[in-house]
Amino acid sequence: MSKKMMNNIRTFFSKPANVILVIFLVLLAMLTLYPLVSLVMETCTVHPMEVQMIGRRKGSFTQRHWFKLLCSGEYSMNNFYIPLLNTFLMSIAASIIAITFGGIVAWLVTRSNLKYKKFISFVFVFPYIMPSWTLAMFWVNFFRNPKVGMGITGIFTALTGICMPEWFVYGLFPCSIVLGLHYSPFAYILIGGILRNMDANLEEAATILKASRAKIMGRITLPIVMPALLSTFLLVFASAMSAYAVPVFLGSPVRFWVLTTKMYTMINGNFQGQGYIIAFAMILFGVGILGLNQWFTGRRKSFTTITGKSSQISLVDLRHSRTVISVILVIILCFIAIVPLITFALESVLLMPGDYSIKNLTLDFWIGKGESVRGIGMDAGILRSADVWHTLVNSLRLSIVCSVAAGISGILVGYAVVKRRGSLLSTLVNNLAFFPYLMPSMAFGAIYLSIATKLPLLYGSFFILALIGSVKYLPFASRSGINAMLQLSNEIEEAAVIVGVPWRKRMTKVIIPIQKATFLSGFLLPFISCMRELSLFVLLVTPQNKVLTTMLMQFNEKGYTQYGNAINLMIIVMVLLINFIVNKVTGASIDKGVGGQ
Amino acid sequence: MPQIILENVTKRFGKFIAVDKLNMVIDDRAFITLLGPSGCGKTTTLRMIAGLETPTEGRILIDGKVMYSSEEGINVPPDKRDVGFLFQNYALWPHMTVNQNIAFGLENLKWNKADIKKRTEELLAMLKIAEFGDRYPSELSGGQQQRVAIARTLATKPKVLFMDEPLSNLDAKLRTEMRTELKRLHKDTDSTFVYVTHDQLEAMTLATKICLMKQGYLQQYAPPLTVYNKPSNIFVADFVGSPSINFVKGTDFMDVCPEAQFTGGGAALSAEKLTLGIRPECIQLTQKDGIDAAVYSTLPSGMETILRLKLTHEKGEQTLTSVVFGDIDFEADTKVHVAFNMDKILLFDTESGNLIPDGKLKI
Repeated sequence: MSKKMMNNIRTFFSKPANVILVIFLVLLAMLTLYPLVSLVMETCTVHPMEVQMIGRRKGSFTQRHWFKLLCSGEYSMNNFYIPLLNTFLMSIAASIIAITFGGIVAWLVTRSNLKYKKFISFVFVFPYIMPSWTLAMFWVNFFRNPKVGMGITGIFTALTGICMPEWFVYGLFPCSIVLGLHYSPFAYILIGGILRNMDANLEEAATILKASRAKIMGRITLPIVMPALLSTFLLVFASAMSAYAVPVFLGSPVRFWVLTTKMYTMINGNFQGQGYIIAFAMILFGVGILGLNQWFTGRRKSFTTITGKSSQISLVDLRHSRTVISVILVIILCFIAIVPLITFALESVLLMPGDYSIKNLTLDFWIGKGESVRGIGMDAGILRSADVWHTLVNSLRLSIVCSVAAGISGILVGYAVVKRRGSLLSTLVNNLAFFPYLMPSMAFGAIYLSIATKLPLLYGSFFILALIGSVKYLPFASRSGINAMLQLSNEIEEAAVIVGVPWRKRMTKVIIPIQKATFLSGFLLPFISCMRELSLFVLLVTPQNKVLTTMLMQFNEKGYTQYGNAINLMIIVMVLLINFIVNKVTGASIDKGVGGQ
Repeated sequence: MPQIILENVTKRFGKFIAVDKLNMVIDDRAFITLLGPSGCGKTTTLRMIAGLETPTEGRILIDGKVMYSSEEGINVPPDKRDVGFLFQNYALWPHMTVNQNIAFGLENLKWNKADIKKRTEELLAMLKIAEFGDRYPSELSGGQQQRVAIARTLATKPKVLFMDEPLSNLDAKLRTEMRTELKRLHKDTDSTFVYVTHDQLEAMTLATKICLMKQGYLQQYAPPLTVYNKPSNIFVADFVGSPSINFVKGTDFMDVCPEAQFTGGGAALSAEKLTLGIRPECIQLTQKDGIDAAVYSTLPSGMETILRLKLTHEKGEQTLTSVVFGDIDFEADTKVHVAFNMDKILLFDTESGNLIPDGKLKI
């Protein structure tokens, strides 16, 4: 090798950004691409449970899974094509609801003289911070009635005596509504960020030219936020597609199957090969959506990025409808963000579900001891149960490990990607770091399961949960890291380079202190997501190594809704509290992490 | 003492050539300005000498030591080059006070606390910002931030100081004030200054030598007055000087002044291949004799008045910019007479654009 080449290589690796990029390229390839390849292999392999069915040795090659799942008439219809259709319908409906609701609220908050803005923007992010099944549980608690499902009376029926029809309580309709509401804060944050940054002069220029308000909305505002809308639509679609808990709560009782629920039953049953095929199909959709998103934003970037900081935004006067709209919005928000918490509290103190009379109330499920609760498989009420405490500690430990690992990686990736912006290496790492976001959680869990089952040391270990959590939440952290670095001019670091400050000190003394709020948001979002995560871990947990969410799921499967509600309330209160404290103390917030302002 | 030598320095970004085979010697204690339109490679050149950017090819020496050489495989990191760098947007660390900003570099050199304090105070006094030591950058005005940035750069006593358009974020008045301060600073600090700017006036007034670049190529490297009086080509002549130089085709000039004769290289030159460069101050208004002209418009500024003149002849008309000193103004369309200061008129070869060094005009 020539001296010149050696020197080039040495120069290349003398820059920390390059070292980071190379390390993460290898690491992310191992943690995302290798599992993907291994998943594809699994779809053509005979698993132990399938030996009899297929009649070949365990581990040998087979195309049976693909054939059986995709081209076997009615079987394929029921197990793949109908769930696929359901998934699409549910995700599209959810995305439309999220964009419409989130977008309208974002416009009202940023561009109109709406009342109670502080309260609305504070409470509106609740549904996103809370676990996605919160609203699903609430829906069931509220609307269930003797005519559908298990026949328990819900609050709504108890209050009004009206029994809602089955399609309203279970199936596609409630799944779409609940997912749409859950992701509307996400749309609100993204669209609100664009609206806030959009130069009001653009709209004012149209006003001067005598355009009507409707015309300004249709010809100026909407086209400008359109790329953001499309990209929000795709991101919500990807998230809704991979939702598992909501269709379990609202779909299973009426045999409404989507891809995730089907995959779970197949992998936990005797059809691993077919389950892995569903996982692979979902990943393909995810990648397709990433491609679409990049195409949209890349093509249209020219006018989303040219946004000025407008000093004076003239707020649209809602006139006489101001109070009406404000009050309606507050009521809706209370209903989806605060009332659910009350119902969980209420449901967790009912001795017999469905009976709301005073004499039926009990605190046994919270603090009961021995006798009264032993009958349902618990050693004590959840605040006294060693098992619950143990699981809670495990959940917290897992969330902290994941948020620290993802957060630090996010800072490094953000630093390196922005430093070397425009280079092939940087683009590659940037995309690889975002890839886990599009990998449906359940499918991602399935891949790691397929690897873990071959390595007994990994199977059921804390390490594998921490690893998958860190990788899955890296996109949140790397987004925050990239945002933070983009806001920082390159010269801030160079000024330190020139006076001989070593790289580590530049990071810890200059870069991180300046952007600490945005960087910290990169820790907060993984923590919260991990605390409320279910679908990612549900395939990987074992009785010895479980988390609160999977415990909650078990209670619900067994029908112990009081315990389920109690644990749910515990998770939500904890997540909201931590979010609130971190926000007040450090200034980090979910908005900053997702990319809003 | 530090002399900076650039040998065939080239920088490519992919296929785009930012700097092409640049050769330059910057003398010790010189004040060099890198001048050129935006995108000409001047900032890239500065950053390569400082070590913030790695050249694609070539050799850079500072003080006789090789700092970069693509052949020998040497690339000294910026902090080992003993240089200071002043950024366009100052790049003050917003989370540190003025004192901390200045002291940070010294801490890294492991100075003891007393010395750091002494040096910081010395700099604050020198740049007249002593009362702002405990403030944060956001609490200072643009001019004060600029002074802090200079103090921070000077703190470690670098032998060479690089400046990347340091005054472009200041208002016009403050800019003039800082220019005189920088020139004084250059004398007081006894170090070499390399200064990037796109403002030709700044380059003219500050530099001991101007390095004028265009699209990665060096156009001329000479003292300011040489660049002004003997520009090496049409581009340089046009870039330097305000108001801009007049360019007139040789044949067009013949139309105005049929008796004109051109010589160069000891021989007569044909008007067809020539372009004349006439500085506005070389066109004088005369009482009676001279060529007839009419005033098209005037821009009086008190100290001088810039005139746009229209010279009408049989085949058409020719407009020229002229400047008269003093508070004189004319009504539009006033008839005047003009004469040319022939010693100072420049002749360029139209095809190559290069100056004909001893080109002369005779009427």
